Amino acid sequence: MSDSPERKAGIIACSGEELAEGTVTRLAALRVLHDTRRGDTVTLCLPLFLAGGEGERTFARDFPTITVDGCELRCAARATERYSARPAASLVVTELAAARGITGVAGCRRLNDAGQRAVEAVADELAGLVDQVLGREGAR
Amino acid sequence: MPDILQVTVDKFTFRVPTDRVFSPEGVWVMWLPGTAEGRVRIGVTDYLQQHSGDVAFADMMPAGTELKAGDEAGTIETIKATLQLVSPIAGVVVATNPALGTAPEIINQDPYGEGWLAEIMVTDGAAQQSRLLDPDAYFAHMKEQAEAEVDAL
Amino acid sequence: MKDGMRKVVIVPCSGIGKPFGTVAREAAYDLVEDLRPHATRLVALSKLVLGDAESRAIVAAHPVITIDGCKLNCAAKCVQESGGTIVREVAVLEVFRQHKDLKPEGIAELNPEGVRLARVLAEELLPEIDALTAGAAGEDDHV
Repeated sequence: MSDSPERKAGIIACSGEELAEGTVTRLAALRVLHDTRRGDTVTLCLPLFLAGGEGERTFARDFPTITVDGCELRCAARATERYSARPAASLVVTELAAARGITGVAGCRRLNDAGQRAVEAVADELAGLVDQVLGREGAR
Repeated sequence: MPDILQVTVDKFTFRVPTDRVFSPEGVWVMWLPGTAEGRVRIGVTDYLQQHSGDVAFADMMPAGTELKAGDEAGTIETIKATLQLVSPIAGVVVATNPALGTAPEIINQDPYGEGWLAEIMVTDGAAQQSRLLDPDAYFAHMKEQAEAEVDAL
Repeated sequence: MKDGMRKVVIVPCSGIGKPFGTVAREAAYDLVEDLRPHATRLVALSKLVLGDAESRAIVAAHPVITIDGCKLNCAAKCVQESGGTIVREVAVLEVFRQHKDLKPEGIAELNPEGVRLARVLAEELLPEIDALTAGAAGEDDHV
């Protein structure tokens, strides 16, 4: 366990380069990290699980993690469970976008309007999950 | 191998070896064995290198430069920032690490070993050493810094 | 070059903590979307981390260029772990050292210098990509 006195949540985005939804995971994770839940969250680079990031693996074992995947392959959720520990919560952009009525997400490099709306929706959902896994008041 | 003090903050682990002394700013000073005249080697701490990010360029004051404690001993440019390195000690620069010119990333890879920055011939070394932090004191200081600043890492 | 013919696979790192990871990603898109869309293709690093069979087969069957944003070289390591043949490992930091005026800033959105650095990096790879795909029909126009 870390010596850090404060509890934090780790966010692991798939960042999938082949799909616009992968870009959505990345931008939503950054929004939560830098803006809406600054100080409560840490982002973990998924490839570091395989490439020798002991700090990432240890953090993901000792702290609650939330995975954000772009598609149903769920690379981030499955790889986190395989290399470290079961995520405390997971979400998939395609599922959330469908549930929120967001269609036509496109633009891996520069997201279109639907992509931007998806970022907002995913960031909002992620922030709620952060509160939930950290046991904060008002958690959904 | 010296004993190592270490602390993990979030996903980062910071190490402090116990065979040298430190400035609060994160520069270490190690007296080189067998150099009765007081030749020291300096470098940056593990915390400072992780906090600063991957090093792109390192440019130390050349051999022959006279330094007072607090003078600029060199510049390290990382992917995040440009650091003016403050010399923790007074003396004359007698060598700089030749590896810094071609592979400055060595500072990140081995900050306490191959990634040393410069060697300085000091005068009145004992008095200067007493003004620096011993490993326990630096470790406590660094841990406090790390917990306060980890979100910037 | 037609689909199904020899392509160069581009695998950028997925670094999310530093602007250099974003440069890697941007350079990859420069190649596959703008500069050599018919001669290159992306493989998402996350799929290799997971061990996705289709992605492993692609990197095993094609020459691979990896673009890494930090010293941990995740893209190169993951391609090697996946049985791929890396023809070129690029470190963004090395390219930055040659172009000190192009300091990237911003992770979600790169500054103009970062965008330019990505383009420079991508353009430096073109001769290699062209050599690897030489002789294939319908090559992209050179820039």
